[in-house]
Amino acid sequence: MTDTAPPIDAASAPTSGHSLGIRTRTYLYAALLIVAAVVLVPLVTTALGGFKTLGDLRGNAFGLPQTWMFSNYTDILVSQRYWLQMGNSLLIAGLTVFLVLTLAAMAAFVFAHVKFFGSQHLLNYFLIGLMFPAATAILPLFIRIRDLGLLDTYWGVVLPQAAFGLGMSILLFRNYFRGMPLELFDAAFVDGAGYFRFFWHITLPLSRPIIATVGIISFVGSWNSYILPLILLNSESKYPWPLGIMVYRGEFSTDWQLILAFITLTITPTIIVFFVAQKHIIAGLTAGAVK
Amino acid sequence: MAGLELRNISKSYGAVSVIEGINLEVTDGEFVALVGPSGCGKSTILRMIAGLEDITGGDISIGGEIVNDLTPKERNIAMVFQSYALYPHMNVYRNMAFNLELAGKPKAEIDRRVRAAATMLELEPLLDRKPSQLSGGQRQRVAMGRALVRDPSVFLFDEPLSNLDAKLRVQMRSEIKQLHKKVGVTSVYVTHDQVEAMTLADRVVVLNKGIIQQAGSPMELYRQPANTFVAGFIGSPAMNFFEATIVGGAARTAPGVSFEFRPASRLTEGQPVTVGVRPEHFQRTGQGPGLTGPVSIVEPTGGQTFVTVDLAGQPTVVTVSGDDLVEAETNLTLYTSPQQVYVFDRETGTRLSEN
Repeated sequence: MTDTAPPIDAASAPTSGHSLGIRTRTYLYAALLIVAAVVLVPLVTTALGGFKTLGDLRGNAFGLPQTWMFSNYTDILVSQRYWLQMGNSLLIAGLTVFLVLTLAAMAAFVFAHVKFFGSQHLLNYFLIGLMFPAATAILPLFIRIRDLGLLDTYWGVVLPQAAFGLGMSILLFRNYFRGMPLELFDAAFVDGAGYFRFFWHITLPLSRPIIATVGIISFVGSWNSYILPLILLNSESKYPWPLGIMVYRGEFSTDWQLILAFITLTITPTIIVFFVAQKHIIAGLTAGAVK
Repeated sequence: MAGLELRNISKSYGAVSVIEGINLEVTDGEFVALVGPSGCGKSTILRMIAGLEDITGGDISIGGEIVNDLTPKERNIAMVFQSYALYPHMNVYRNMAFNLELAGKPKAEIDRRVRAAATMLELEPLLDRKPSQLSGGQRQRVAMGRALVRDPSVFLFDEPLSNLDAKLRVQMRSEIKQLHKKVGVTSVYVTHDQVEAMTLADRVVVLNKGIIQQAGSPMELYRQPANTFVAGFIGSPAMNFFEATIVGGAARTAPGVSFEFRPASRLTEGQPVTVGVRPEHFQRTGQGPGLTGPVSIVEPTGGQTFVTVDLAGQPTVVTVSGDDLVEAETNLTLYTSPQQVYVFDRETGTRLSEN
C-alpha cells in the first residue's frame, strides 16, 4: 500500500485543440463578430437610448447621447412602483423556478431510472406541452384559472408558467440523469439507499449544472413573460415589470427613452445571473451528448 | 459472516436465457472467483447475489436464509465495483460513512468504524479528499473501505482491478488477498483474468455461456481441466490443441506425428479426439522421436521465452527458459511426457485422458 497521491492541485487537464489556418481563423472570427453584433447592438442601443432625450433618440437612435440624461435612470430607480414591480417579478419568477425545478427533477428522475408500464407514453404526454405556446391556450387557461379562484393572484400566473416550462425541463433533467454512471445507482442501492435517498443524496448534488441551466431558463422565461400576467392580473400592485412599461405609453405620445431605461434596468439582473451561471449552463446543455 | 448458496439459479431476458441452472456453494469465509470470457454471465450472477438483478428461477441463500426477495441492503452484502462507484461529491470519510448514516448508526459508532477501516487500508491521510483527488489504487482502496465498514456477511467484487494499470493491479491483488486473510469474510470475486482468479481464490468457477464448466481449486483446474474450454481458458499462454485420431493407443495428428498419453478405458481405436498440450509442458530433451518443426516467432519476456513452432502443420506456442537461445527460422525438436498430454472428445470437448 505504497502508491502515493497525486498533488491535489495538479493541473492535469491537457490542453487540446486543432491549430487552424489564418484564413479559417479569420472567417471564424468574422462569423463570431457578426453573431456578437446581432446580440449586442440591440442591448447597447437600448442601454444608450435610456440616457437620451426623446428628441435625441428620434434623430440619433444608434449614436452616443448628445446630453447624458442620467435622470432617466435615477427617476426610475427612486420610484416606488419600479421596486414594487421588480419585487413582483422576482416573486413570480422565484416561485416558478422553485416549482419547475422540484417537479421536473422528480419526474425526470422517475423517467430516467424507474421502469414501469407506459413510461414512454407518459413522457411523450409531458413533452406534448413543448408544442403549444401559452398564447394558444390562453382562453381555456383563463377560464380554468378563474374557476380555481386564482385570477389576479401570483399563483394564477406561477402555476401556468411552471406547467408550460415542465416539458423542456423534464427532457433536460432526464437526459442529464441518464448520463450519470449506473454503478453509482447500484452502489447507493447496496449502501441501503432507496430511490428517494439516491435522488436526494446522490443525484441532486451531482446535478448542479442542469439545475442551474433549468433554473436560469425558467427564471428568464418568467422574468420576461408578458402575455400571462397581462391576461391573469388586474391589480396594478401585482404587475411584474413587463406590464410596468405600459405606464410610459400615453394615448398620444410614448416616452421611449424612459421605456429603454426601464428595460435596461430590468434586464440587467438576468444578464448578471446569466454571466455568473454561464459555465454551469453550457455544461448542463451539453451533458449527455457525449459520455 | 455466512456461507452463500446458489440453487438452480437461472436468468433470462424474455426468450433469451443467459444463466442456466447454476448450483454453487460457497462456504463461510471461502474466497471464490467466477471467471470466464465477456458475456459468460459472471457479472449477472454477482448482481443477482447482490440483489441488483432479479432471478428468473432458483434460490439464493446467505447464511441459510433465502434472500430472493430481499433488497440489497437487507442481504447485508458489500460490493466493490469495477469503476469504484465512489460518490464524487463526498470526501473519502463520507463515502465510507454513507451506508452507516443511511442505516441510522450513531455518529460515534460511524466514526469508530470508518477510522478502523481507514487504518486497516492505510487511508487515514486521505479521509478529507474527494475521489477526484485520489489515484486509481487509492480509489479502489476507498471502495474496499466502504464495503468493509459495513461488516458484511458476503463481499462481492465485480472486476475491481480492471481499471488499474498492470503494476498496480498486481499490488492491489496482494492487498485484496491480505485483506481477506485479515477479515475472513466470504467473498465472491468476478474477473475475466484467469491469473487474478488463480492467485486470489481458494476455489475458481469457470463459466461459459451461462453454464458452470468446472469448479475447483486453481491447481485442480490447471491439472485436471474438465473440458477443452477450461483447458484453454486456464493457463497462460493458452493450451495448444491438435486434432488427432486414436491409432495404436496413441493420438496421431498427422502421419508420423503422434502423442503418447495416459491410457483411458473410454477410448476406442480410430476415435477422433482433440489433443491438448500446455506450452510449458513441451521439453527440449526427452525420449523417443520427438516432434520437429520450424520456429516462426520468438517472444522473450525475461525469465521465459515464448516460441511459436509449426508442429503438425499448425502454430504451437512453447515456453522455454529465458536462458535458452532459440532463433527464428531454425528447427526445434520438442518432447512431451504422457502425463502432460490431454486428450479430449472432439465432439463434446470432455477430457478423456487420465491426467
